[in-house]
Amino acid sequence: MIQAQRLNKHFKIYETKKGFIGSFTSLLSSKHHIVKAVDDISFSVEEGEFVGYIGPNGAGKSTTIKMLSGILHPTSGEIKVGGLSPQKKRKEVAKKIGIVFGQRTQLWWDLPLRDSFDILKEMYKVPDEKYRQFLRLYDDMLQIGKFMDTPVRKLSLGQRMRGDLAAAMIHNPDILFLDEPTIGLDVNAKTSIRAFLKELNQNEKKTILLTTHDMDDIELLCSRVIVINHGKIVLDGTLEDLRKNIGLPSVMEVQYRVKPNTTEIQLEGIERMTWEYEKLVIDYDRSLLSSPLLLQNVTQWGEPVDIQMKEPDIEQVIQKIY
Amino acid sequence: MNLYLKLLSGSLRSRMQYKMNFLVSSLSYGLIMAVDFVLLAAILQRFDDVKGWNLYEVGLLYGISSVAITLYRVFCVEVHNFERYMVEGEFDSLLIRPVSPLSLLLTKNIDLSRIGGTIQGILILVISIIGLKLNNVELFLLLIYLPVTIVSGVLICFSLGLITATIAFWTQRIKDFQTFTLYAPFNAANYPMNIYPGWLKIIFFTVIPVGFMNYTPILFLLNKGGDLWNLALPPVVGIIFLCISLCFWKFGIRHYHSTGS
Amino acid sequence: MVYWILLQKSFMRNMQYKVAHLINNAASAIFGFVFIAIWVGVLQGKENESPYSALEMTYYIAAVQCILWLSGFLTAGLNIQNGVRNGAISLELARPTNYFLYVTSQEVGRLMYNLFFRSLPIGFVFSLTVGFYIPQYIPTYFFLCISILFAIIISINLHYLVGISACWTTEIDWAHFVNFTLLVGLGGQLVPIDLLPAPLSSITPYLPFAGAIYYPVMIFLEKISSEVLLIQLIWVVVLTSFNLWLTEKARQKLEIQGG
Repeated sequence: MIQAQRLNKHFKIYETKKGFIGSFTSLLSSKHHIVKAVDDISFSVEEGEFVGYIGPNGAGKSTTIKMLSGILHPTSGEIKVGGLSPQKKRKEVAKKIGIVFGQRTQLWWDLPLRDSFDILKEMYKVPDEKYRQFLRLYDDMLQIGKFMDTPVRKLSLGQRMRGDLAAAMIHNPDILFLDEPTIGLDVNAKTSIRAFLKELNQNEKKTILLTTHDMDDIELLCSRVIVINHGKIVLDGTLEDLRKNIGLPSVMEVQYRVKPNTTEIQLEGIERMTWEYEKLVIDYDRSLLSSPLLLQNVTQWGEPVDIQMKEPDIEQVIQKIY
Repeated sequence: MNLYLKLLSGSLRSRMQYKMNFLVSSLSYGLIMAVDFVLLAAILQRFDDVKGWNLYEVGLLYGISSVAITLYRVFCVEVHNFERYMVEGEFDSLLIRPVSPLSLLLTKNIDLSRIGGTIQGILILVISIIGLKLNNVELFLLLIYLPVTIVSGVLICFSLGLITATIAFWTQRIKDFQTFTLYAPFNAANYPMNIYPGWLKIIFFTVIPVGFMNYTPILFLLNKGGDLWNLALPPVVGIIFLCISLCFWKFGIRHYHSTGS
Repeated sequence: MVYWILLQKSFMRNMQYKVAHLINNAASAIFGFVFIAIWVGVLQGKENESPYSALEMTYYIAAVQCILWLSGFLTAGLNIQNGVRNGAISLELARPTNYFLYVTSQEVGRLMYNLFFRSLPIGFVFSLTVGFYIPQYIPTYFFLCISILFAIIISINLHYLVGISACWTTEIDWAHFVNFTLLVGLGGQLVPIDLLPAPLSSITPYLPFAGAIYYPVMIFLEKISSEVLLIQLIWVVVLTSFNLWLTEKARQKLEIQGG
C-alpha cells in the first residue's frame, strides 16, 4: 500500500544575520548549510498493517508523513501510496488517504461537527447513501452523535479528536496517517481512541501509519514498528523485535513505611533495584515479569504506603537501541 | 458549486453567532468610507472640480474602486489573510484535500462585515449617476458597462491580492506589503489618474494596473478622451493579470512543496 | 522609574519589525502623494480663490502624513480591552503603579519609535520629492514641540477613553472606528478644518480632534497664532482628569463585581 524508496529530504537553512543591515544582506547572500531531515530511508507497508512510526522530536517523522501525503516533495527518492505518486497525483492520493494531526484540528472551528462533515462530504463527493452509512457506523464506533450539533471550539480535546478521526474517515480511505492522535488526552479518551483504531485495522482492514510518543499506543496497537532517528531508520520490525532489542523497561517506585530488611530478592526480569531511604526503585522488564506479580512480591517484603508506576518515554527507548 | 454553497452557508452561520459584533463592524467600516467621500465632496463643493472632473464624475471612479476592493475583501478574505496560514503553519491542512488549495481558500470563508463598504460604494455610484443625469449626461452605455468595469476591478484586485499572498511563501508576513500593493493603489484609484505625477501614473498603468479598472473606461464613457478600445482594456488587463498571478501562485506552491514552512 | 522602563521596552519591541515598517512607510508616502495630487489638481488655476496655495497644501499634507504616526495611528483602545476580556485588568489595577500611566507609557514608547522610524523617514522622503516646509522664526520650533506634545497627550487620552470604556461595554471596535473617523475627518487629515463646509468649520476648531492633528501642523506651517496652544491645553487637562476619574470608576466597578 505504501512504498518509500531511498527517500531523502534536505532543507537548506540560510544563515540570518542580526541587525538592520544584516537582515537585508542575508536576503541576498547564499550562505547556508544543509539539514538532512530524512536521510535515505526505504520501507514498504502492506495492506492491513498497523505500523508505529516512532522517534524523538525532530527525527524526521513529520517530514516523512508530509512527503507520503504530498504536502512536501522529496529531494530524491520514490514514493507510492496506493500505487500512485503523491508528488505527481496529489489530489488522487488525497482521496485514498485519511490524515489526522493530533496537534491541530481539521474541523471548522466555529461550526457544529455536523456542518464540518457536510462540507467534507461535498469535498470528497461522498454519495448520500454512503454518507448515511458513515454517520451510523461512526456514531456506533466513536459515539459522536452526542455532540454532533456542538460547535467544534466547545468540544473537549477527547471529543474533538474523535470528531477529527471520523472526519478523516468520511471518504472511507484505505490508508490512514495519524500524527500523534493521542497527544494530550486523558486515559479514558486514549482508551476509546485505541479501541476504535484497533477495530478499524482488524475489521475494516485499514492500513494505518501512526506516530506517537506513547509506548502504550505502540504496545497495544502496532504489529510493526519503525524507529527513526536523525533521519535514518534504526529499527524496522515487529513488536517482538523491539522487545528483543530494548525489552519493555518499566519502573516501579515503592514507598515503604519502614525500610524492610529483605536483602535477597530474586525475580526474573528485574534489571535494577535502588534504595532511596524508604523508597525502592525497581527497573524491570514487563515482558518477563508482569506488574501484578511484582506488586504481589513488594507487598510481601514490607508495608508499602505508596506505589507508583512509571512508563519510559520514547526518548529513553531510542537511547537504548544504540 | 454545491460545495461552495455549503461552505458559504457554514461561514454565514458561524458569523451569525456574533450578531452584534457583526452588525457594528460592518456599519463602522462603511462609515469610514463615507466620511472619506464626504470630505472629498466638501473640497469639490468649494472648488468645483479636480483637473476637469466634477464631484459626480470622481464619484463614479470612487464607487467603482470601492466596490471592487470591498467585494474582494468580502469573498477573498482567506486570500487576503493568507499570512495566518504561513505564520501558524496551517497551509499543510489545505494540501491534504482532493481540491486545489486556492479553491479551498476561496470557499473557506466570506467576511460579510465588509459588505457595508460595498453598499457604501454602490450608494456613491447611485448618487453620482443621479447627479450626472441631472446634468443631462448620456448614461445609457455607462450603465450597461458598469458591471464590466466592476468585475474587471475585482479581477485586478484579486490578482494583486493573490500576488501579495504568494509573497508570504518566502516572507511569512505580508500585512505591510498589502498597504503597498492594495490599500495605497486602490485609494489612489478613487481619483482620476490625470492628477498624478508621471512616475505614479506609470506604476498605476503597469505593475499595479489599477488605472485600467475605472479611469480608462470612464474617460471614454464621459467623453473625456480615448476611443472604443478603452472599453475593451479593463477585462483584457484583468484576465492577463489574473493569469500572471495564478502562475506566480503555482510557482509559490512549488516552492512550498520543496521547503515547507 | 517603572514607566520609563515600560516605555523603553515598548520601543524595543517595535524595533523587531523595522524592515516591514520601512515598506509600510513607502506606502504611507504614496498615500501622501495621492492627497497632494488631489489638492494640486483641485487648486490648479484656482489658487486665488483659496486661502492656501498649491505649494502650501503640499506642505500641509506632507506634515500631516508625518504627524499622523504620532497622534493619529495609535493602538486601538491602547489594548485595554484585551485586559478586560481576559481579566488581567483587575490585576493591573491592583498593582502599586498608576494604571493610567502604566498603559500610556507603553504607548508613548511606541510613538517614540514611530517618531524615529516612521515620521522622520516619511518626512525625509517628502523633503526629497515635493519639498518640506522649514519654519522661519525660532520661537516656532519651541511652540511646535509643545503643540506636538499636547497633540500626543490628547490623542492618547481619546484612545484611552475608548479602551477603558470596555469595562462597561466589552466591545469597543465600533468606538474605535468612530473615534478614528472623527480624528482624521474633523482633525484635518485631508481637508484643513477651516475649509470644511459652514456649520462644521465653526465648531471643529474647538473640538479635541483639531488639537491632535490640525493645530500642530498649522503651527509648524506658521499659519496660526500660538494662542491655539491654549485650546490644546484645555483639552489636555479636561481629557486627562476625566480619564483619571473614569479609571477610578472602573476600579470601583471591578472591585464590586470582581471583573
